[in-house]
Amino acid sequence: MTRYLSFAAIKFRSKMAYRFDYVLGTLHTLLLFVVYWSIYKALYGGASEVDGVTFSMVTTSFIISLGLSSAFEKNEMFLQDKIKQGTIANELLKPVNFKLRILFEDMGEGSFNVVFNFLPTAVIASFFAELQAPCSVLHIPLCLVSVILGYIVLWEISFIVQSWSFTLFSVWGLITIKNVIINILAGAYIPMWFMPDWLRNAIRWTPFDSIYFTPVQIYLGELDGSEIAFHFARQIFWIAVLWAVGEYFWRSGIKKLVVQGG
Amino acid sequence: MTEKIIEVNSLCKTFKIHKRATGFKGAVKDIFHPAYERKKAVDNVTFSINEGEMVGFIGPNGAGKSTTVKMLSGILYPDSGDIKVAGYIPYKQRKEYVANIGVVFGQKSQISWDLSPLDSYEVIRHIYRIPPKKYKENLERYTELLDMGSFINQPVRQLSLGQRMRADIAAALLHSPRIVFFDEPTIGIDVVGKDKIRKFIKTLNQTDNITMIFTTHDMQDIEKTCERLIIIDDGKKLYDGSLENVKKGYRSSRIIEAEFESLPVSLTLPHAVISNADNNELKKLISFNTDEVSVNELMTALMNTHNIKDLSIREPEIDAIIRDIYEGRIVMN
Repeated sequence: MTRYLSFAAIKFRSKMAYRFDYVLGTLHTLLLFVVYWSIYKALYGGASEVDGVTFSMVTTSFIISLGLSSAFEKNEMFLQDKIKQGTIANELLKPVNFKLRILFEDMGEGSFNVVFNFLPTAVIASFFAELQAPCSVLHIPLCLVSVILGYIVLWEISFIVQSWSFTLFSVWGLITIKNVIINILAGAYIPMWFMPDWLRNAIRWTPFDSIYFTPVQIYLGELDGSEIAFHFARQIFWIAVLWAVGEYFWRSGIKKLVVQGG
Repeated sequence: MTEKIIEVNSLCKTFKIHKRATGFKGAVKDIFHPAYERKKAVDNVTFSINEGEMVGFIGPNGAGKSTTVKMLSGILYPDSGDIKVAGYIPYKQRKEYVANIGVVFGQKSQISWDLSPLDSYEVIRHIYRIPPKKYKENLERYTELLDMGSFINQPVRQLSLGQRMRADIAAALLHSPRIVFFDEPTIGIDVVGKDKIRKFIKTLNQTDNITMIFTTHDMQDIEKTCERLIIIDDGKKLYDGSLENVKKGYRSSRIIEAEFESLPVSLTLPHAVISNADNNELKKLISFNTDEVSVNELMTALMNTHNIKDLSIREPEIDAIIRDIYEGRIVMN
């Protein structure tokens, strides 16, 4: 395990080299937030709450879900490019679990973005937007755990779609569609509270709300102790299911792998 | 008797190739009705290699040698047949197995484009969990042997092809593998660079007893490094034996290159095979074996019937021998 953690650490450090990149990244997230914040400010029209949801809940939800979705963006053409260029061969020559290694490398990159992109955005936003403080000090580590679990769910969905490049060779279109679907169903564009009941009930049976909405609910203190435990269990359940599915596609993929070129 | 480290039994691999139709109409048809073709890349290949051996795999482009190496290194799944390397089944126990091998692809760099070789080696150290002491020793040794001191800190994208190749070779050896596969390691490299690489490979094979497999279509590579040769063409094994043996079969074989004054008519000579040379109708190649017919006899026969403008006798080159084997002019067992 320490070996995989070192992959994350190496990635974290190598991201440090591109300083200009993370200044722009912060700007991107901030702009994204300001757009949604202004839209919902107009929609609220000065009202303090709509359907029992206060404006500060909405802003906080946006900073968490939009901020994280922007911090968790990564190169999703990774596997496709490796397969196209045949450099997947080099990956297979390393005595490590490929999926785990990439997961940890991506987590290294993701945590870098959380520290140097998400946090600055949240701090800057707190000066002008109505953000809520976490429900209690204890809720901060709990929220952090749910963010990590949510990230793994998000990562696995991405891996499954990427692994189709073994058969399809080009998955760019699918990845774009997948990202839109995730951002809508995970509540990054429209907070979950405003979704029609039937949709919210349907989403409850999918892994999508465990990506951003679970951390939002924990942060705001919408869940009590046993509910938090239940949501963690749900996230872990989806991680296990999606891992198995990803493993299936990966294994059947490398079986029919054709290393192109040379 | 040394131990067998690689055992391959009736190995087969077939690729499905998408046959693209040409033109716009073809492209449309392709979407709805793609045509596929099956190509046997490796066809029933069997061989075994002893520990510490250095074996050259040769064959023309598309012969199946790289595919064989990729199956041996656990990247590709075979369709049928058995592979056992160092006690592992490569494609099944990939993760445990690959810690024992090193692979150098001449056409695919393993080290990161943006980092310097040294930074890439650091990552490799973590991946293979190389003990710090061994890592330091190996690094110092390879830096010296491959003469990398001057560029080890430069980003890889600024290196010349020869330098990058040397850096790649060191990367594949840092974890002290028992078996190393070289897949066309000298491709595109100048004569001096090739020589450095060959010397290094040879030294390492002799001093460290590392088993090495070397694919190439540069015969010089083989002549300078290997003792054993496996020739593959069209997925099939054509020859497996010593390099010496291939040459020995040709020891008494000679070629006369003759240029005639006028177009030769009814040119038949005893025990000799006549072929055309370089599109020049006046020039002919006469191959024969000195065990069957003496030079003297043949020359007399030739001089008596035709007017010769120019003439030379030479031994066949190893390239030509291999070409003969590929083209089925001779059958080796």
